[in-house]
Amino acid sequence: MSMIELRNVHKRFDELEVLKGIDLTVEKGEVVIIIGASGSGKSTMLRVINNLEPIQAGEVWVSGVPVHDPKRADEVHRIAGMVFQQFNLFPHLTALRNVTLALRKVKKMSGAEANEAGRAALARVGLAEKADAYPSEMSGGQQQRVAIARSLAMEPEIMLFDEATSALDPELVGEVTGVMRQLAKEGMTMLVVTHEMGFARDVGDRVVFIDEGLIAEQGKPAVLFTNPSNPRTQQFLHRVLDR
Amino acid sequence: MGWQGILNSSGILFAGFVGTVVLSIATIVTGTILGLLVAVLRTAHIRGLGVPLRIYLEVFRGSPLLVQMLFIYFGAAYLGLRFVETFTAALIALTLYEGALISEIFRAGIEAVPKGQREASRSLGLSRVQIERYVILPQTATIVLPPLVGQYIGLVKDTALAAAIGYFELVREGQAIIDRIGMPIEVFAVVSVIYFVICYPMSLFARRLELRTLHP
Repeated sequence: MSMIELRNVHKRFDELEVLKGIDLTVEKGEVVIIIGASGSGKSTMLRVINNLEPIQAGEVWVSGVPVHDPKRADEVHRIAGMVFQQFNLFPHLTALRNVTLALRKVKKMSGAEANEAGRAALARVGLAEKADAYPSEMSGGQQQRVAIARSLAMEPEIMLFDEATSALDPELVGEVTGVMRQLAKEGMTMLVVTHEMGFARDVGDRVVFIDEGLIAEQGKPAVLFTNPSNPRTQQFLHRVLDR
Repeated sequence: MGWQGILNSSGILFAGFVGTVVLSIATIVTGTILGLLVAVLRTAHIRGLGVPLRIYLEVFRGSPLLVQMLFIYFGAAYLGLRFVETFTAALIALTLYEGALISEIFRAGIEAVPKGQREASRSLGLSRVQIERYVILPQTATIVLPPLVGQYIGLVKDTALAAAIGYFELVREGQAIIDRIGMPIEVFAVVSVIYFVICYPMSLFARRLELRTLHP
């Protein structure tokens, strides 16, 4: 069984069709990078996989859970963790409480168990010493690493990254992609929407180029970046790489 | 007579003060609970609940409290509900009316929380109720407290309308004193001062909350 399988997925916002029949399969342990122009539908695809947007047609399977079935869609949240462009940390809670909230309320851990797991998760992203800091007291890069720790603590099978570094100052991007590289090395299944082409080339097992709601081309990074076959891919890469 | 008469009536005024405070506190509790409930249900976009809640809101926000109070008091009598005495009728009417206004304050606060907060919470597997309780409502507290206290000040003064159905609060007791000794100007001046004594500290409190929100 594949970790993620999308079959002919269609998504419309009123009149605007954003996904026009997406087919995609992701295997366990694979790191798949999604690239494409803004408005191409790449973030929407990630949100569809994570049950944040309903679809109009097609099927979405995540580790055996039919996300297209509203009755069972919520089960996906036990399997997938998601990291957002805007971090979305809870501003009224410390870093540690951000991480432990779901451990206590969803996994029903005791306070002590949750704190131990929470500190371990923060240590994993190199922020053990920030446990008692509030989000407003941390840099963007630190906030995003806490957000990653918050997802990791729930022990997901899949991590979804929706432009996780796009809101960061350039000098802070590295600390977040560093954590992501580490995760990939540990064998996490990852779906990453990003504009960081260097990261895509180094870490991706496969790069998927989305154009106007369809997968225009996909392949190994070495091949797709150096020798794209689709003219739209060529155009896009020319624009982003020759900036 | 003269001011001595009013002084001699201080027991009656005190009873009125207690009547006003008791009705105010009871309404603050019930109206806040109702308002919070309505706001959470409205912002949750639960199918089938949106229209009835909207109708409730518009009806009670869009008609005079005095009319609602008379309607509930005499309506209950008409239906033979003898247990509905003046206090109960006043409390029901005030709760429904203030609840409608308070729900809009809470709704504004809830909608001010970025939607990414809900999305992150859902991604972590939190249930709808858990999201409201642990993520959304704590963040609305600083936003809603100043206007909420402002609403409570209005609420205290709204309880004066309960005099119309015979509930003994400040205005009604003041009227009773006037019936005995006259001097309506002086009596109502004293009644106004008592309202001011209740409301002014709340006003100061609201002002402090507001400053704290602006300059945390």
